[in-house]
Amino acid sequence: MIIQTLFAASHIYLGNAIWYLICFAILMLLIKHYAWGPVSDMMEKRRQKIINDLDSAASDRKKAETLANEREAALKNSRQEATQILSDAKSNAQNTSKEIVASANEDAAAIRKKANEDAAKAKADALDSARDQVADISVAIAEKVIAKNLSAEDQKDLVDQFIKGLDD
Amino acid sequence: MEKSFVFKLMGLNFDLTGIIGSTLMALAVLFICIWLSRKVEMKPNKRQNVFEYLLDFTNGIVKDNVGDNDAQKHLSLYAFVLFLFIWFMNQLGMFMEVKVDDWMFVKSPTADPVATMSFAMMTLLLSFTFGVQRFGVGGYLKNYTQPVGFMLPINIIEEFTNFLTLSLRLYGNIYAGEVLLTLIGNDLAHAGGPFTLVLAAPLAMIWQGFSVFIGSIQAYVFVTLSMVYIGKKVTTE
Repeated sequence: MIIQTLFAASHIYLGNAIWYLICFAILMLLIKHYAWGPVSDMMEKRRQKIINDLDSAASDRKKAETLANEREAALKNSRQEATQILSDAKSNAQNTSKEIVASANEDAAAIRKKANEDAAKAKADALDSARDQVADISVAIAEKVIAKNLSAEDQKDLVDQFIKGLDD
Repeated sequence: MEKSFVFKLMGLNFDLTGIIGSTLMALAVLFICIWLSRKVEMKPNKRQNVFEYLLDFTNGIVKDNVGDNDAQKHLSLYAFVLFLFIWFMNQLGMFMEVKVDDWMFVKSPTADPVATMSFAMMTLLLSFTFGVQRFGVGGYLKNYTQPVGFMLPINIIEEFTNFLTLSLRLYGNIYAGEVLLTLIGNDLAHAGGPFTLVLAAPLAMIWQGFSVFIGSIQAYVFVTLSMVYIGKKVTTE
């Protein structure tokens, strides 16, 4: 058996080795062209696409996040604004009401003062005119009394009194 | 003992068994690959998925064992075709052996040392090529004295042992599988009447299944070790 094998080695079929290599080379070329190449390209393309998709998804998420933040900030801002407006309105209203009350008070005081003044003036006028009339009346009365009843004695008393008054 | 049909052409001997087997299996690999990748789409269909799975598998072998990125790209196709081709050749003898009288016509080409040595030689030459491409002739030869000078003879012997172990491991496994299958199918089945005939059938089936497993493992090992040897040549130690 061993001798047989050794003997066979002298005409070992080297042709087969060449055939295998040629076969393999042709197989490799054909597979590269028809199967391996397209599939590898597609896998690479898919890899790129997935990378792109992931990237764009990440950037989209970032964008959405910033947008949400912005919106939240705006919401907060508007709430603040609303509070501000409300408080402004409240204080304005308070101020206005105070002013109104104050001016009303002022008006009332002025009116009262004027009324007082008017009353006092009316009183004074009344008093003045009354005094004038009393004086006129008393002068008239005095004229009539004097013209009718003034005796010599009474005239003397009057003059005395007058002189006494001058002395004081 | 089976004989094979040897003929002479241009001063070279050709063994018909190996040529028939390898050609058949090359065609099978080609047609299956083309069938699997007939419609290549961005969203892969079922057949494309199978093809991509195989491609990923062999690419994984390459990536695990070859550090150089540039070499990885070139070796991807080689590993893919080598794996499929050797796998199919391993399996051929499991389900088909054509024998006319004592003349063997179809069996696993890899159950023949010439076939396995051809592929091992191919890997060896490829590793030289990659090494020279990477480091230049001087740098490549200098790598034989790495890491220390007295390793030179060991490194040179390693090339031969690599070549021999790579080829003979595959040959031995497939050849042993075929021999045992022949023993069960021929000698045991016809040894003692109907009893052994009935006994031989499940045994042959079990052994065939096991041989399919071995054939797959050996194809994987062959490609892996090829990549290891090539990978060693393109990396500095």
